[in-house]
Amino acid sequence: MFEKDLIEQLKQFQEIKPNKDWADWLLSNILLKSHQTVMIKPRVKLVSFSFLRQYQKALVSTALVVLFVSTFAFAQTTLPGNLLYPVKTLTQNAKIVLAPKDYKPVVRMQITKARLEDMAKITDQEQVIALMSQNIQKDLEAIPQELKNIQKKQKTLDISKQVQTEAKDLNNMIARTQLQSQDKEALEKTTQDTQAQVLALIIDTTEEINQCPGFLQDKLANLQKYFTENIQIVAQWSPDEITKIRTFLADISNDIKVGNCLEAMEKIESINQILQIHSLDIKVETSTPEN
Amino acid sequence: MTEQEFSQFYKNNINKVFRFIYLRVDKIETAEDITSQTFLKVWQRQIPVIASDEALSAGRQEFPLISNPTAFVYQVARNQIIDFYRQKNKKPLSLEELKEKGIDLPQKSFISQIELSFEMENLKKALQRIKPAYSEVIIWHYIDDLSTKEIAQILDKNENNVRILLHRALESLKKELNKAV
Repeated sequence: MFEKDLIEQLKQFQEIKPNKDWADWLLSNILLKSHQTVMIKPRVKLVSFSFLRQYQKALVSTALVVLFVSTFAFAQTTLPGNLLYPVKTLTQNAKIVLAPKDYKPVVRMQITKARLEDMAKITDQEQVIALMSQNIQKDLEAIPQELKNIQKKQKTLDISKQVQTEAKDLNNMIARTQLQSQDKEALEKTTQDTQAQVLALIIDTTEEINQCPGFLQDKLANLQKYFTENIQIVAQWSPDEITKIRTFLADISNDIKVGNCLEAMEKIESINQILQIHSLDIKVETSTPEN
Repeated sequence: MTEQEFSQFYKNNINKVFRFIYLRVDKIETAEDITSQTFLKVWQRQIPVIASDEALSAGRQEFPLISNPTAFVYQVARNQIIDFYRQKNKKPLSLEELKEKGIDLPQKSFISQIELSFEMENLKKALQRIKPAYSEVIIWHYIDDLSTKEIAQILDKNENNVRILLHRALESLKKELNKAV
């Protein structure tokens, strides 16, 4: 195509026009808006930040993130009674919740210590101290149960030892707090109970590990006894549960053959947990009054 | 700017501005929406489109004087088209958005229809396929009869650059049409 032809063709576009009614309507509409919407522009504009508008969303989100992070960071340095201390508590609780299940007791003990340290630093807020003391006691009471919930015996032993090490300074810390003597005694008692339970768990677990083959035999004998005595109840179990128990027993057999005593013990514990659930059912059934 | 001044300016430019926008977008409705926004912006900016003595003596000298109002309205239209493709993800403004921008919806419906021959439709498509900078200068110079000086003002370039741009734009359009053939 020659340039001249092309330009001639382009000229034909000059015929394009908007709908006249629409164009008239638009003009009258714009003029109607005039007095309401017109903004007078200032003569002198010192600094223009109008370019920021296009980054508005990003800037707002960044500002929020910076604000959130700085508040969060600052909150970690606060003491009980400060407005931001609940943020710190919240962070600590989140750490416990998010910790791997087996390491929860260690994390909980570390946070309990941090809270005790905070508590020792404040003097004139009796109510706050008393409330913190109650929460610390609850945390301490939860630790032995969390240790017992760990499936692997060797891990239970290792974690329990870590918790025991962490718990060494607790009494000194409690002594430094400004708690009322009654509250202080209660907290000391809970601490001692927890330490005693952890120690007992360490001893029991060590014994179980050392005497595993003997324990294993006893446990297997107990299991056999349970199944013999409760054969009718077991017959009512769901096929899935029976299959699960059979699989565990087959695995235990294999573990014994290759000398994995602890592994076999853990599977026996899993079977025991299933049995415990059913014994609860039995208890409920037997305790239900007859109509 | 008085209403009379704006009305005159509007009547002089509505066809050109609408055409410039229509050739850059697909739908006639989109062209109407963008044209509405363009003129509304011009009006809201209170630019003294006609720099008459009367306008200046009426206390509006505080507004920046636009020496070439036609160039200005094209600049606004150009930005509106860019915004349309960039921000609205190629979607026309919704009726609610238009309302928010201060444009009432027409009480009666206008049947807007533009019929192009097959050949012209192809030419329009080719115009849309080449670089936006090329299609702009072609529309301004060959369709809307703007001089290279006026185009230079819109683009804030010198006339020589505009001439080079026009030459390249026409070559590019020819190539695009040959491809289609």
